[in-house]
Order: sequence, then structure tokens, then C-alpha cells
Amino acid sequence: MLKFEKTNRFFKILIINISFLLIGLGFTSPCFSKDISFELILDKNKMSLGDSLQLGLSFNSTQEMPAPDIPIIEGFQCRYLGPSTMMSIVNGKVSGSITHNYLLLPTKTGSFKIGPFKFEHNGDKYTSNQLSVEVLEGQVPSTPAQPAAQDEPEIKDLNDRLFVTMQTKKDKAYLNETVMLSIKLYVNRLGIRDIQYPEFNHEGFSVAAFDKPNQYQEVRNGLNFDVIEFNTPIFGLRPGEFKLGPAQIKCNLIVRKQQLRRKPPFPSSGAFDSDIFDDFFGRYETYPLDLKSEESTFTVLPLPEDNKPENFSGALGSFNLEVSASPLEVKLGDPITLKIVVSGEGNFNTVVVPKLKSDKGFKVYEAQIKQEANEKRFEQIIMPMSAEVKEIPELTFDFFDIGTGEYKTVSRGPFPLVIIKPEKEEESKVVENKQLATTALVKEERLGRDIIYIKDNLGPLRKKNSYLYKNTMFLLLQPIPLLLYLITLVIYTRKQRLKTDLRYARGLLAPRKARSGIRQAKKYLDKADTLRFYDILFITMQEYLGDRFHLSSKGITISVIDEHLRKEGVAEDILAKLRDIFRECDMVRYASSQLTRQNMQESLVKLEQVIDYLQRRKA
Amino acid sequence: MKKIRVTIIAIISLTCFILIPCLYHSLAQEATANTPGALFYQANIYYQEGKYDAAINNYEQIINRGLESGNLYYNLGNSYFKKGELGLAVLSYDRAKVFIPNDSDLSSNYEYALESLNLEHHLSASRFNKLVHKLFQHLTIDNLAILLSFIYIVLVIFFMLHLFSPGFKRLWLGFIYASTILFVISAYALNSKINYIDKTAVVLTKEAEVKFGPLENATTYFKLTEGDKVEVVEKAEGWYKARRFDNKIGWVRADFIRLIK
Repeated sequence: MLKFEKTNRFFKILIINISFLLIGLGFTSPCFSKDISFELILDKNKMSLGDSLQLGLSFNSTQEMPAPDIPIIEGFQCRYLGPSTMMSIVNGKVSGSITHNYLLLPTKTGSFKIGPFKFEHNGDKYTSNQLSVEVLEGQVPSTPAQPAAQDEPEIKDLNDRLFVTMQTKKDKAYLNETVMLSIKLYVNRLGIRDIQYPEFNHEGFSVAAFDKPNQYQEVRNGLNFDVIEFNTPIFGLRPGEFKLGPAQIKCNLIVRKQQLRRKPPFPSSGAFDSDIFDDFFGRYETYPLDLKSEESTFTVLPLPEDNKPENFSGALGSFNLEVSASPLEVKLGDPITLKIVVSGEGNFNTVVVPKLKSDKGFKVYEAQIKQEANEKRFEQIIMPMSAEVKEIPELTFDFFDIGTGEYKTVSRGPFPLVIIKPEKEEESKVVENKQLATTALVKEERLGRDIIYIKDNLGPLRKKNSYLYKNTMFLLLQPIPLLLYLITLVIYTRKQRLKTDLRYARGLLAPRKARSGIRQAKKYLDKADTLRFYDILFITMQEYLGDRFHLSSKGITISVIDEHLRKEGVAEDILAKLRDIFRECDMVRYASSQLTRQNMQESLVKLEQVIDYLQRRKA
Repeated sequence: MKKIRVTIIAIISLTCFILIPCLYHSLAQEATANTPGALFYQANIYYQEGKYDAAINNYEQIINRGLESGNLYYNLGNSYFKKGELGLAVLSYDRAKVFIPNDSDLSSNYEYALESLNLEHHLSASRFNKLVHKLFQHLTIDNLAILLSFIYIVLVIFFMLHLFSPGFKRLWLGFIYASTILFVISAYALNSKINYIDKTAVVLTKEAEVKFGPLENATTYFKLTEGDKVEVVEKAEGWYKARRFDNKIGWVRADFIRLIK
């Protein structure tokens, strides 16, 4: 019953956790439909038959939207070109977007409507705007080019107008000390789009994700630059001198097609002017750029060993400690909540829960942690386990103060505690539920004890002492896998020998090949085809002798084989038969002698006898 | 005459028609009443009524037919417990453990029986033995036999794969070592369990004197109490040579103890 309750509770917790997880996922999803707008963009609204048109399906406030399946558009053939992502900055507000581009080819003239398209993703529905296109016969006059600004001095080197810098507030810091790293993209009078978050080499450092970039203007070397600044806190993971960077930012440079030959390829409007995007498809081209900053050197200093507190756990910064405990009047085994707040400035990743000076007489549970910008909150449950406990001991927190370069210890408490003694009849017991990570006090009732009641079913009944290991069938089955293995081993060994031992392989195959040859010879005997019969007979004999004695089959003649077989001690009558076969074969094959069927029959028998003899001799 | 004959035939037919089903029914009932299921059911009723001797008798009848089950020994143990024969209760629970080692009711009753006898578990074994016991305590002898057989088949498969598949050559040694170790430990556990059942005996009397020799007038070496367990190392006429958990060995009368087997 207890087991069942535990299981039931476990499943409840599991379901609740999963529900929270799903709800959390739903809310944190980047595609949360309320913020995402779906818009159609066309590069032109008038075109001639034979020309092409680019359609963009743009989703703002997200960069993770799959390409929608768009319906058939009347008057056009459609082809998907691919996605393009863009980071745009409007009035200092940064947002990402993704545009899925399609190429439309008109199939007839006329006025056509494109959209509205409906698209569903992750259960959210999106509806686009509607656009009109006119397809004409003949040439469509192009729109006039946007005038270029003339007030800036001409700069020929692109790197002076578009570059990336990377800097830290200082070039030395203690281990685990947080330092702000700033990567800036400078742009002077250029069109830039699809700016990606920077990447940089940061070996030896821990780096957080970049915040949303800041945009502002800055005058540098007499030039007015649009600046996008990316900031992230970093801290050194081990002492030493390390290289930081180079920082790398990928983006696309927008240049005007028509002005490429006559003027420097820079549009005159501002770097992120919306006109560029409005008129992007027709007259501008994009060039991917990979901008890199200089690399810098950063020194990570080790923490001093002098006066290092015993419980120092690596916290760096300037911190304050606040602790409160409640309730302060409890029964033995009742939970007490310690609320601990570490606030200040520094690397909060290195801040761990302050420790009780002594946890004697207490059961201390793992703290719940909540980290915010300038403070870290801990909620810790402790439980008095002894009636002798009079106070919650002092809590101490050690840290290294970067400002003064010294270790500091802050402490709070002790907190006086009153333990209420339990009534005589009650015995209390602390029960832990690991799944809930909480504690509960259960009063154990001991009214009496007895054995648990009898079973109402007989259960699986079987013969006395009939264990499986004594079962004949079970025992008989046991050698089968071993036998299978042995058979496999024999096959494997034979296969390996056939692969590696050519003499063995030839010897093994010789009788099989000979049988096949004899069968073939018999066919020619039946047909009375003397020439072919003796051809086959000769080849069979040659191959058999070659394979049997590991000789070259082609080089076998009567003299070779005669000499070899004599050495082997083969009987004289067999040698005589072999000689006869060789002679008869030669007679037919080279002297065109016509031997009778009787001769053929005799030759075949002789060959069979020779093979049979040699096989028996081998055995 | 014909009428008389017809009447006689009709009476006989009617008698047969009534009697044969009745006879068949009573025979079938008797047969049903003697099935292990019926005996068990009846024994449970006796137990409910507090007729523990009758319940024990019925449970024993099933066992005497050469049949056994975990629940049967469990109920028998309960009956002995209620009757106050705690040694036999412990013995029955030990026998039940062979079949249903994971049964929480059984564990609870077994513990309670030992507590009632002021006994504790004594596992006179090395650390390795204790570890093996802990690892495999929830498996029955049959479970262990199946496990061993399975590991053995897996080993054979790996050996075969090793022959033909070169890709397995890197992994196979690790698998074979692991499987072999598991096989050896499982085999050891199985052997230990079989030995435990075959050689362990439970003291049934309130007190049992263990003597230096298998003679009534031999000097008493030590004493055993009801529910104590000993390892039987030798048998003689009416006597068992038994080893206690502290490795003391002596002779005890065969009717004082009973093997779990």
C-alpha cells in the first residue's frame, strides 16, 4: 500500500513537472505569436512578361520560422530561393527577422493579387498582407535611383568606414573576477544588414551570452560612425596570460548596382536606413563580409594565498550578507527556513550558500537558489534533531574583495532557538521524501504489532524441488549455444585456411572439380563428340593432378607427372593408366585420330580409377 | 405382461436418470474438495476461524502431495506463528523466501517472527559473500538460472561476432570481461543459494543442546534456541553435525532441527 502511494505521488509530481515544463516552454518560445508579424514584400509591383519578381515572406521578431508552403499564385510560377535573416535597429530597439525569398515568373499578362497567405506554426496562426502586381507586355520603366549624399569626405579604403573593435575595461583581473567585454561594429555611411552576433576566441575564460546590442553614434577620426555595441561579462578560469579575440562579426554589405562602375559602391544614406530595405530587391546587391577585430592580451591573476579563509569558495567582489530564520520556536524535527541574501557587486556565479559555523544537532538540506542581477538568494531548510540545540549557529560567508585586494568574512547570527519538547505519548520521526526534496513530520502510531494477514491465493504451484537448474530439458538446452559456437568455429577455421593455405584449398577442391569434369565428359561421350570429350578429359586430369599435388595445372605433362608420382610412390599400374590417358588425349587432340566409343569409355573409367586411387591414398 | 415389463423398464430408467447425475455430482464434489486449490481455500477459512491446527493440516496436505508455492509456505508460517510454534513459522517463512524473496509481507512477518524470538539475522560471511547476497537477494534460484543462461548465450554470441565481425574486436573484450565477471558472480550466487537451502536448518524446539559427539550422554558444547539457524555439515544416525554462525560446530539431534530444503 505504501509502495502504491509512493508510486502514485511520484507520478503526480512527474505530471506536474512535465506540465510546468511544457507551459514554460510555451511561454519562452521565440515564436510566441503575439509578437510576430507576417508580411509580404515584393521588389516591384510592375513588371514585363519574361521578367522575374522576388517575393519575400518576412517574419519579424523571430529568426526561427520555417519556410511556409505557399499556395499556387495565379499567373505565376513560384520557386523557393532560401531564407535571409536580418537584425534591424529602429529607434534603438533591436529585433531580428527572417525572410523566406521566392522567385516568381509571370505566365501571363494582367493584374494579379498576391496573398493574403495563411500560415500555421507550433499552433499559432499567421496571416499576411495582400499585394498587387501588374504584368505588362514590353519594357517597364525603372524607378529613379536614390540620390547619394555628398557631404562626407571620400574614403577609398572600406576598412576605414567599416570595422570591428574589441576591448575590455582593464587588461588584468583576478581569477573569477568579472570584466565587461565590449565588441563594437563601426559603420560610416554604408548599408549593412544581416548582422550576426560576434564570435571570438575566449580560451581560458567563461563567457556569458551577449546582451541586446546598443546602437549610438560616435565621432571617430573626424568621421561620424553608427556604432553597434555588444557587451558580455567574462571571467578568467585559470591564472595566466591569455589571448582574447579576434572578434568576428558577419554581415552583408549593401551596394547599389547602377553606381558600381562610376562611383564608389557605397549608398549615401545611413547605415540602417529603411529605404535600403524598401527598395532592396531591385537596385541593390549584398556582399557578405567577415569583419575581424584586433586580438588583445589579458592577464588573469591568481588569488593570494595569504590570509585565505578556510571556507573560501572562490567568491569575488564586494558583498553584503543578510540572513533571517523562521520559525524560531519549533518542535524537534520541525523545519526552519533560513533566508539568505548575498548582495553587492561581483561574480555571482562564484557565490555559494553561506555555511553554518557548526551543523551539529541539525539536519541541513540543500538550498534553493535564485540569482538576480545584483544579488543571490538562498532558501535553506534546516531541522533540529536534538533537544539540546539552543540556537541556530552563526552563518559565515568568505569572499575576496577586489577593491581592497583582501579576503573578507561576513557573518550573521547566531539566532536563538526554542525547541518545544514533544508530549510523552508521541514519538516523532522525520521522514524524508527524496522526490519532493521536502520534509514532513509523521507521527508513528504504535498501537500494537502483528503479522500481516495470509494470502488468499495459492500462487504458482509447482512440484517440490523442481528447480529449473534440475530440469532435464533446461539442462539439455545448455550445450546448444556451445555446439553452435563450435560449429561456427570449425567453419571459420576452414574458411580462414581456405583463404590462407592455397595447397589445402586446391587439394580440397580437386575432387569436386574432377567430378564436374567427368560429368561433362560423360555428356560428350553420350553425344560421341570425341574431340570435345578428350579435351574435357585432358583438362580435368590436368587440373586434378595440378590441384592434388599443388603444381601448375597448365605445365602438367606426362613426363612431369610421371616423375612426381614416382617420387610419391604411386603404384605402377596407375602410372600406366595415366600414361594411356595422356597418350589417347594427345592422339585425338593433335593427330586427329578417331577413337571409338569403347576407347572413350575406357579412358573415362581409367581417369575415374586414377582419381579414386589418388583420393584414397590421400585419405 | 408387456405392460409390467414396460413399467419395470420405465422405473429403472427413471432411477438411473435421477441417481447417476447425483452420484456423479457427489463424486465430482469430493474430487474438487481434494484439489490443492480447495484445500488451500479451506485452510484459509480455518485460519480465519482461528482453527490453526486444521489450517496447518490442510496446508501440509498440499505439501505432502509434493507441491509447493511461496504463498502456501507463507500461510503455513502464519498459521504456525499464530499457534505459537515460532521455530516452524521461521522455517516456513524461510521456505517461502525461496519462491517469493521480494514479498514485503513475507519480509515483515519474518522479521517479526525473529524479533519475537529475540533473534537477529546472522550472516557469517565474508564481505564478498555479503555483497553477493545483497546483489542477488531479490532473485529466486530459477531467476538466477535464467540469468546465468542468458549471460552464457550473450557470451557465445559475442564470441561468434568476434570471429566474423572485425568491428566488434575493439568492444568485444570489454563485453566479454564484463559478461564473464557477471557470469562468475551470478554462478557463485546461485551456488550459495542452493547451498543455503540444502544445508541450512532451523531449530524447532525451545532449546537444543549441541554436543561434542552424536551421543545422548556427550558433553554439551553450546545451546541453540528456537528459530536459530545452523549449517548442517554432516549427517549421522539421528544426529546432524551443525555449524553455528560463529563457526562453532557440534552435534545436534535430528528431530530438534529441520532443513529448509
